[in-house]
Amino acid sequence: MIDSDKTALVLSRVSANFSDEEVSVPILRDISFSVPTGAFVSVIGPSGAGKSTLMRIILGLLPQTSGNIVRNFSRPAMVFQSYALFPWLSALDNVAFGLHMDGMRRKERESIAREKLKEVGLAHLENHFPATLSGGQRQRVGLARALAISPDFLIMDEPFSNLDTITSEALKADLINIWHSYNMTILMVNHLIPDTIELSDKIIVMGAHPGRIEMTLDVDLLRPRDVRDTKFFKQVDTLTDAIRAIS
Amino acid sequence: MIRSVIHPQTRAMHRVHLKRHRRAWFIVTGIICAAVLFTSFGYFGGDTWVMIGEAVLQTTYRLVLAYGIALILGVSIALLVGWGRFGEMLFPIFDVLQNIPSFALIPLFIYFFGFTSEMIVFFAVSSIVWPILFAVLTAIKSAHVDLNDAATIFGARGPKRIRYYLAPLSFPAVLTGSIVGIAIGWEAVIGAEIITNIAGFGDFIKEASVSGMSQAMIAGMLAILVIVFAVNRLVWTPLLAESSRRYAE
Repeated sequence: MIDSDKTALVLSRVSANFSDEEVSVPILRDISFSVPTGAFVSVIGPSGAGKSTLMRIILGLLPQTSGNIVRNFSRPAMVFQSYALFPWLSALDNVAFGLHMDGMRRKERESIAREKLKEVGLAHLENHFPATLSGGQRQRVGLARALAISPDFLIMDEPFSNLDTITSEALKADLINIWHSYNMTILMVNHLIPDTIELSDKIIVMGAHPGRIEMTLDVDLLRPRDVRDTKFFKQVDTLTDAIRAIS
Repeated sequence: MIRSVIHPQTRAMHRVHLKRHRRAWFIVTGIICAAVLFTSFGYFGGDTWVMIGEAVLQTTYRLVLAYGIALILGVSIALLVGWGRFGEMLFPIFDVLQNIPSFALIPLFIYFFGFTSEMIVFFAVSSIVWPILFAVLTAIKSAHVDLNDAATIFGARGPKRIRYYLAPLSFPAVLTGSIVGIAIGWEAVIGAEIITNIAGFGDFIKEASVSGMSQAMIAGMLAILVIVFAVNRLVWTPLLAESSRRYAE
């Protein structure tokens, strides 16, 4: 659960430019926010807001041009919009990949990977290669791969955007259960307003060109959230108005 | 129990592939039967086949050796360059080097190795290595950024990155690079044998052509055709099929 005294992540005036030999284009400008430990925080914004770039900077995959980042987590993991599964590995080996890199023995890592595949409902597909799985199944393997390393901070980059409504609803329900049972911090990029309200404790709304924070919204609805409740619709309206105002 | 369902379009493509496969085998079987018939009617002398066998064996041995060295060299360089930060810098240099006409370098190889079998092997290496190196390097450089990031996040860093990420990622590229490389390799080995008169298939067909032994020349070319076809069907086709099965998007 959320520990408001502790922060998993603090960004302070983080900026990033894309530079080559000729030009330097600002991608992110003065991004400042914090993520409490155990919270579910979503980042929402139009294309070109640099949301994915921001996630990569947070994970240290890309450098920031200026500003400071305090990372109070030790075991980050990521779920990708494009799944990013290794095509030469079976579902089981994909899930076990992180454990393999940690030097865990085959028997032990396969046992953990099987358990994670079972958690996401894919125990029967452990020998299948990614090419033979549907989009929803691939995303579940991606989630299982992230969970297998027991992360304390999970970044999800538009995990539902390539999925149909039924699949994304099922995955969303699983995600809430997983978040509760793992007690980890989640930072998710999303572009669906109702999903964002349903899942998040805090929403960061970004504007584009260059990417910047337009507003931060705390969602104080009780969990489990009733998506037919008037308070829920009110929050959806507030966020929709905010996004309309910046686009 | 879950069964894999094969899409009708995939089934149709598989049928077309099978049909082509059977046709190719039919043609080669025809060539072999024709050669046997011609031999039995005395068109190709029995000695011709022994001489061809020896010549083809020498050439094939050189090619296999050259391919092995080029494979290790090309893949290793590409993986190291792709792993490090110097890829962008080295790419143009490799591009210039691979554009040097390989036969222009024969005097250099003769200078270092003399008129020897080793000279032909290393000359062939200098031709085969480029398509393999470029195929692997391009595969590494064009990998999806998410896949690269996933490998990093889940711990494929340092030397582990080469073994567990870059090497398997490059497998389809190694195959295509090898197919192109071997084709160039045949040319390099046979061409070098023709130029330097070092015993082998190139030297054999040159001698046959110069001394008017057209039957021997034809028989030699048929033998090479059959070998190239057999390698293609028995080695590359199954590997390509496995690669496309595993690496399909």
